[in-house]
Amino acid sequence: MNRRLQRCTSWLVWVAMCLPTLAQAEEHWAFQAPSRPSLPPIARAAWARNPIDTFISSHHERQGLQPQPEAKRLLLLRRLYLDLIGVPPGPDEVARVEAAPDESWYEGVVQQLLADPRHGERWARHWMDVWRYSDWWGLGDQLRNSQKHIWHWRDWIVESLNANLPYDEMVRLMLAADESHPDDLDKLRATGFLARNWYLFNRHQWLEETVEHVSKGFLGLTMNCAKCHDHKFDPVSQMDFYRMRAVFEPYQVRNDMLPGVTDIDVDSIPRAFDGWLDKPTYRFVRGEETKPDQSVVAQPGIPDFLTPPMPTVEPIMLTASAWQPARRPWVQESMMEAARQKVQKASLELAATHEKPAGVESPMPEAQAALKVAESLVTLAQTELESLQKRISASRAQWDREDRKQATPCDEIAVAVQAERRASVAKSTHQVAEAELRVLRAEPGKKDEMEKQLAAARESLTKAVAVSESEVKAGEIFTRIEGARWAATRFDDSTKDDAPVAFPAESSGRRTALAAWITDPRNPLTARVAVNQIWMHHLGTPLVATVFDFGRKGTPPTHPELLDWLATELITSGWNMKHLHELIVTSTTYRMSSTMVGGEANAVKDPDNLRWWRRNPIRLDAEVVRDSALALTGELDATRGGPPIAAAAQAESKRRSLYFFHSNNDRNLFLTSFDTAMVKECYRREQSIVPQQALALTNGRLVLDASWKIADRFSTEVSADADFINLAFSVLLGFKPGDAEMKASLEALGAWSALPPDEGRDAASTARSHLIWSLLNHNDFVTLR
Amino acid sequence: MQTAHPFRTLPRRAFLADMGLGFTGLALGAMLQREGRAEETLWVPPDGQPHFAPKAKSVIWLFMNGGVSHLESFDPKPMLNKYAGKTIAETPYASTQSPDKLALARVTVPDANGNQRNELYPLQVGYKPYGQSGMEISDWFPRIARNADRIALVRSMYTTDSNHGAQTQFHSGRHNLDGDFPNLGAWVHYGLGSLNENLPQFISMGTREYWNKRDGHYLGPAHDAVPLRIDPANPLDFGISERPFSQQSKEIGISLMRRLNDLRGVEYPQEPAMAARIASYELAFRMQTSVPDIVDFSKEAEETKSLYGLDQPHCREFAGQLLAARRLVERGVRFIQIQHGGGGAGAWDAHGGLKENHATQALAVDQPVGALLEDLDRRGMLDETLVVFATEFGRTPGSQGGTGRDHHVFGFSVWMAGGGLKRGVVHGTTDEIGFHAVDNRHYVTDIHATILKQMGLDSRRLEIPGRKRLEIDHGVPITEIIA
Repeated sequence: MNRRLQRCTSWLVWVAMCLPTLAQAEEHWAFQAPSRPSLPPIARAAWARNPIDTFISSHHERQGLQPQPEAKRLLLLRRLYLDLIGVPPGPDEVARVEAAPDESWYEGVVQQLLADPRHGERWARHWMDVWRYSDWWGLGDQLRNSQKHIWHWRDWIVESLNANLPYDEMVRLMLAADESHPDDLDKLRATGFLARNWYLFNRHQWLEETVEHVSKGFLGLTMNCAKCHDHKFDPVSQMDFYRMRAVFEPYQVRNDMLPGVTDIDVDSIPRAFDGWLDKPTYRFVRGEETKPDQSVVAQPGIPDFLTPPMPTVEPIMLTASAWQPARRPWVQESMMEAARQKVQKASLELAATHEKPAGVESPMPEAQAALKVAESLVTLAQTELESLQKRISASRAQWDREDRKQATPCDEIAVAVQAERRASVAKSTHQVAEAELRVLRAEPGKKDEMEKQLAAARESLTKAVAVSESEVKAGEIFTRIEGARWAATRFDDSTKDDAPVAFPAESSGRRTALAAWITDPRNPLTARVAVNQIWMHHLGTPLVATVFDFGRKGTPPTHPELLDWLATELITSGWNMKHLHELIVTSTTYRMSSTMVGGEANAVKDPDNLRWWRRNPIRLDAEVVRDSALALTGELDATRGGPPIAAAAQAESKRRSLYFFHSNNDRNLFLTSFDTAMVKECYRREQSIVPQQALALTNGRLVLDASWKIADRFSTEVSADADFINLAFSVLLGFKPGDAEMKASLEALGAWSALPPDEGRDAASTARSHLIWSLLNHNDFVTLR
Repeated sequence: MQTAHPFRTLPRRAFLADMGLGFTGLALGAMLQREGRAEETLWVPPDGQPHFAPKAKSVIWLFMNGGVSHLESFDPKPMLNKYAGKTIAETPYASTQSPDKLALARVTVPDANGNQRNELYPLQVGYKPYGQSGMEISDWFPRIARNADRIALVRSMYTTDSNHGAQTQFHSGRHNLDGDFPNLGAWVHYGLGSLNENLPQFISMGTREYWNKRDGHYLGPAHDAVPLRIDPANPLDFGISERPFSQQSKEIGISLMRRLNDLRGVEYPQEPAMAARIASYELAFRMQTSVPDIVDFSKEAEETKSLYGLDQPHCREFAGQLLAARRLVERGVRFIQIQHGGGGAGAWDAHGGLKENHATQALAVDQPVGALLEDLDRRGMLDETLVVFATEFGRTPGSQGGTGRDHHVFGFSVWMAGGGLKRGVVHGTTDEIGFHAVDNRHYVTDIHATILKQMGLDSRRLEIPGRKRLEIDHGVPITEIIA
């Protein structure tokens, strides 16, 4: 009865909370810029290593909580490694830290790990969850979502984190590097953030997802709730949703050619650009895309109640080589180099053909025809090289005129057109030669068909010759050099590409304005949302539970002053994330034990540990589980970056899990069973405990193979069983075995040794590998205590 | 009274104590996972008990991928033969195509398919009335037809996605464009605790290749169906050791692991995650023996095996899945979701060559499905087992390319049997040419609501904070077919 009454009361409170005035809504804590809170006075001053602890301690004291003691050294080492670089310490590191004379080892390890390039790999995966990293997916081979070479963006994230690029700069580059650094391919990789949202069929879905996740990911605002009607909880009008959409309305995706790779399909940089400068944004009545309200054009902007206002949108004139990427020197060089290589290859083939003597297998006429094919291929390659040269010259001359604002066409155009025509003749000539050879080689039944093909080839040649002999007409153009390719959409008809979108000379500047506003130090949300994510990954539980909703329907922070202190610290440090990592991991709060022992009185007052009187244990992320097992074998492949590992190659791969192909449709089964990120939305991962995980760890070859290798590796370090057990517990689980654990382990080793050993191994090493297998299945292997 | 949003009023630990850490398996893992949310909001997860007295204990969900023609299966229309070759505009039914009536369809992808087909296409197969009810069923489904008096047929279904995203829509109730939402099986799994401690409670069979491959979505991966293969040697992912590992060695390892985990409880007592981890291993080990047993049919009578059609090549695959489904139901599994013809757009997607396509696909499912109903009934299990035979949409009355029918969202058929539903009833109708559902129209979530009602669940009491559900997500139970 009492319980029911309480339920009803809670419900009424909840209803009441939902019905405030707009003014109250605007006063919501998260919509006010954070101010630097002063440090509260605390009694246990010695407990506090830095201001984080002061805030935490002040809550302890207010609630009469006694913080748990520091965790043991080995466990602290394990925490730092798994948290900062995502793999556990090896036997050497464990030994070194065990032998350390005082506590100064801790700071040293923190510095070392923050400088370790694996730090970027570990933390990139966290941000990739929030920023929705996804390799491409579609139906069969058809690209429908994201982009084929989106992994360049992943590499940019890893590199940026390792270089400690400020958070605000990362956000600005992801949203608008094409406007701020339009010719810098390295930085353009950042706009993979936008290229990932590319969707072949539906522009509305694409942009709606963009608005939703820009606002959830960077601002903790659920703008998506205002798509069909005004937001029910936050002062966001339906029009605000479309104003933010207008920021993104012009953007499209293209792939820019990389130095040395002339085939954009092979490799290129997927990036954003503004292609639809004049596209109006309309509010959809009730959010229905078939019902645009064309009476008002939504102007790019942000909800009015948020301060500061968004800066004025200023169109940005792009450098010429940004919108005419063929001007980029490496584009021309790469294409020339590729053309030269073709000539060389054809010449070599010709030489080889010359050397082949005519014989029984290759009668005289056929040998001659083959020679003709090889010769015509050389001619083709040469004329194509010439055509390219002339087209580059003509393009340069044209650019030169454009740069000097001259309207007159240049002579080089006609030269290029003629060169291209000659290449076309050479191509047809080569095709005729090939067709002739096919006729000679054709089996009797296929002769007619081959003759027909030859006749067609000859006809094409006649036409090409006729064209090449005609006069070049005014206005005739040559095939442009392609330095980038628009990612063709099919919004209008799923069976054919939409009309191509050109690369304009200017960009709208809308995304630059939005990025400037998001990263303005006065923005009330950005820094808070970022530090909440960072805190969550270090400590397992966020300060604001609703990590993507800081609005009024979200949960209030458990430690508002701490959140604001961290947010202002991030901003004043120059959005320095490594500084924040260091602060958090060197705090006393971070070092506490997660045990409940001795905390019984605390548990009565704060059963859910909302006040951080102990550490919360964390179920390791999927990638850390796999990477740890591999790292302990000593075989983890340290190669960084590059194209994702395809599903078929994953079982054999020793690369870090971060590099596995990961999309909506294709995810690694092992990682999936441990709650790897869903690509559509993953602001906070599940930490589920399900039997599939037990099956994956007991039966999967990952753990079975690792068990052998780890056992062999450890056996080279120690000889006695007791020492082996000691080392295995320390390195795999982060604690020293007690007497009971030692006894149980020794007994098990004895029992295994009495059984027939694995093939190719002796009884002792088989037993040890089984012990490792058991420890890899121990709760503490997948848990960060 | 219970409110739509029940709120947590007790500390979490007390709640866990109430639940008892003694029960094991998925439910606990799932519960602890929910607990992660519970600490953030004033709300309690379901306690595994039905909200009211249930009629059904288990659901067998059969889903025909690609879109079964309602016209050539369970809703034959003689007018198609009468007006064959005429455009709809030339028939008395011209008004079926008035734009306001077509506004229902919500296009994801403008496509060569999913369009209006105007020239009426005659029925490609005959049909007859069956059973006491005189239910008209096409000649391609003779075995199911023999069970007409066990079936509650709904001929007035509609959906809105004219692409195959409607497959997802039928499972989750939401259009593909809205995002990913939990499937019905995940809700049932979430709402009801374990009936069996040796098996996962939500199982999926058959190729799954509609737009989303998961079930739990925001309910969490603990509510994804566990995939099962009809292969006694390897029925589960990671179900057998991928390297040689003797059973004896493994048992020593497992008992060591248990011992070590228990010992850890000295330093880290009262840890629910540890308890759940231990429980998840126990269930995993039991699953390794209980799951192969499910797909080992050696103890089934020969008569039963041939009843399902296990000895017939044309329907062997589906027969095995349905026999396994019955065995799962016997062991108390809650929800068995079986996809027929999954892969690509789906095997039933007869844009051309409908006659050959549907004749073949029907042959692959008819005998096993009929046998399932007969077998469940003779064992007295049909009353507590709800069998669903569904598809994402129907097919157009008009012809596509002269030999096929296109996707059709405006009217199609779904039937259910058992689980406390009426036997031998037809509910709802489409118009004379099978175009629009005209009376007692039902959106796909009405099927969900009916099933949940029979399972004793109130979908509004399953809601979780922060995840607003719409009226249409809940649907309305089809009371007319409930016994």
